Amino acid sequence: MVTMAFLSIVSTVFLVLISLTNYQLGWKFGRAKFVGIKNFVRLFSGADPDFWHSVWISLLFMVLATCIELILGFLIAMLLNSSEFKLKPLVIGIMIIPLAMTPSIAAQMWKLMLNAEYGVINEITQKLFNLKIIWLSKDMAFWSILIVDIWQFTPFVTLIIYAGLRSMPVDPYESAEMDGANKLQILFFITIPMMRKLIYLTILLRAIDALKLFDTAFVLTQGGPGNATEFLSLHIFRLANAQNGLIGRAAATALVLLAIVTIISNLLIRQQRKEV
Amino acid sequence: MKTGRRQKNPLVRIFKGCLIFLICFIILFPFLWMILVSLRNRVDILTPGKIFAPISFINYQTVIKENQIFAYFKNSVIVAFFTTVISLLLGSVAAYGFARYNWKKREDRAFWILSQRFLPAMAVVIPYFLMGALFKLLDTQLLLVICYTTFNMPFTIWMMRGFIEDLPIELEEAAFVDGCTRFQTLRKIVLPLVLPGMVATAIFCMINSWNEFVFANFLTSINAKTVPTSVMMYLSISGVKWGEMAATGVMAVLPVLFFAISVQKYMIRGLTFGSVKG
Repeated sequence: MVTMAFLSIVSTVFLVLISLTNYQLGWKFGRAKFVGIKNFVRLFSGADPDFWHSVWISLLFMVLATCIELILGFLIAMLLNSSEFKLKPLVIGIMIIPLAMTPSIAAQMWKLMLNAEYGVINEITQKLFNLKIIWLSKDMAFWSILIVDIWQFTPFVTLIIYAGLRSMPVDPYESAEMDGANKLQILFFITIPMMRKLIYLTILLRAIDALKLFDTAFVLTQGGPGNATEFLSLHIFRLANAQNGLIGRAAATALVLLAIVTIISNLLIRQQRKEV
Repeated sequence: MKTGRRQKNPLVRIFKGCLIFLICFIILFPFLWMILVSLRNRVDILTPGKIFAPISFINYQTVIKENQIFAYFKNSVIVAFFTTVISLLLGSVAAYGFARYNWKKREDRAFWILSQRFLPAMAVVIPYFLMGALFKLLDTQLLLVICYTTFNMPFTIWMMRGFIEDLPIELEEAAFVDGCTRFQTLRKIVLPLVLPGMVATAIFCMINSWNEFVFANFLTSINAKTVPTSVMMYLSISGVKWGEMAATGVMAVLPVLFFAISVQKYMIRGLTFGSVKG
């Protein structure tokens, strides 16, 4: 507990300190100058258009990924719950695979599959629809990353929702059926309200993870082409890595990311705790 | 809710079966493709239309002999092992405190710990990098162990807390009556009983540290590189060595998959930080 508090608080304080300086990679610490809030002024005054672009696509990605995965996951979970068959444990086992696969390696595999010239996905689309898509081009790269994310985390949502559906009591359903409710009514007036806590939890986990996304995007596009897929974490990485080494500015951006994540997660946690 | 009813309409059943099969196929496809690619030679990888290519193990040979992939594996194993041991030791004790002691701000503290999970790795990696540079720890396994412990510890606390709360408290009360101290109770009653849960938690910790990429990529350069960062090695200027990369991928993913399937029962619990007891 103390170690953890130490590790997280010390690093945050350190981050704040660094964000107030103009420290660059490779400098001795003595050389860094205290520049006050200049780094932040630069971010918010619009002198750094890349930053706002990153914030925008990060938030867009978060919303899209969370919504699509939640809806798809919910549908698949209901499909699984609606029928009994012998191979169900196998299906559940298959669902675990994308979650357990090392994300960076999975992303690398997708990169091969999405390749415009010799990727298997274009091979399939070409044979079926005579369609050739340059997946990792400027226009499509964002959607490609979204597809990979959906592939990786829809099973995650499915597993959670499925567990929730399984543990529901039978009585409300029986009385609803007696009252003559149709399937849609049962879904919207019984299933979803009863699973609200679980749904909030799923949204929380997915939204924050989507906001933090790094591995997949880094391996697939490294933020490119240009800055088409430069999510906030990738933007921080680009500022801080060896070529730029602007650690001070990267730290300021990291603090903004931290603030966004903290606000969103606090809102959702509070909402989730309220539900009984 | 268990709907044990069998569908009456056979058409609906067949449709559902096909749909589930399709979903499974889509989920499984990248994994199968990875195995397929790892067994092909360079030319066949670039012609995906050709389904039946001759199988060769040349990629595995190159990876093991030329790229010294086992050095990466050694680092990964060391880091994962020590992270797991430390998080479990400290985390279980903390979890016991959260489960059995009552104090005013307990839930707030617990949620504060949970909030560590939402800490973006990118936001903490810079201070870690600088501190690592300050203490001359960059590119060592120790630094990775420290980092991974920070995000595995909250996980352990939440998982173990759930497992401990599942135990009937009467057992511990009986032990107190018989004159056990707190610590003895923890050691002799609680820990043996939560052992299955502990093993599951340990496996999740291992998977987490095995798959971690951001810290490993940022904080290591030569000596302490772990398996996930090895993908960067294959992005050479002369093009990506897909076959070798896929071979590495298969080797890296198999142990994780084996572990994951072995804790399938606790999977949902592990994925949701112990908050859903599926």
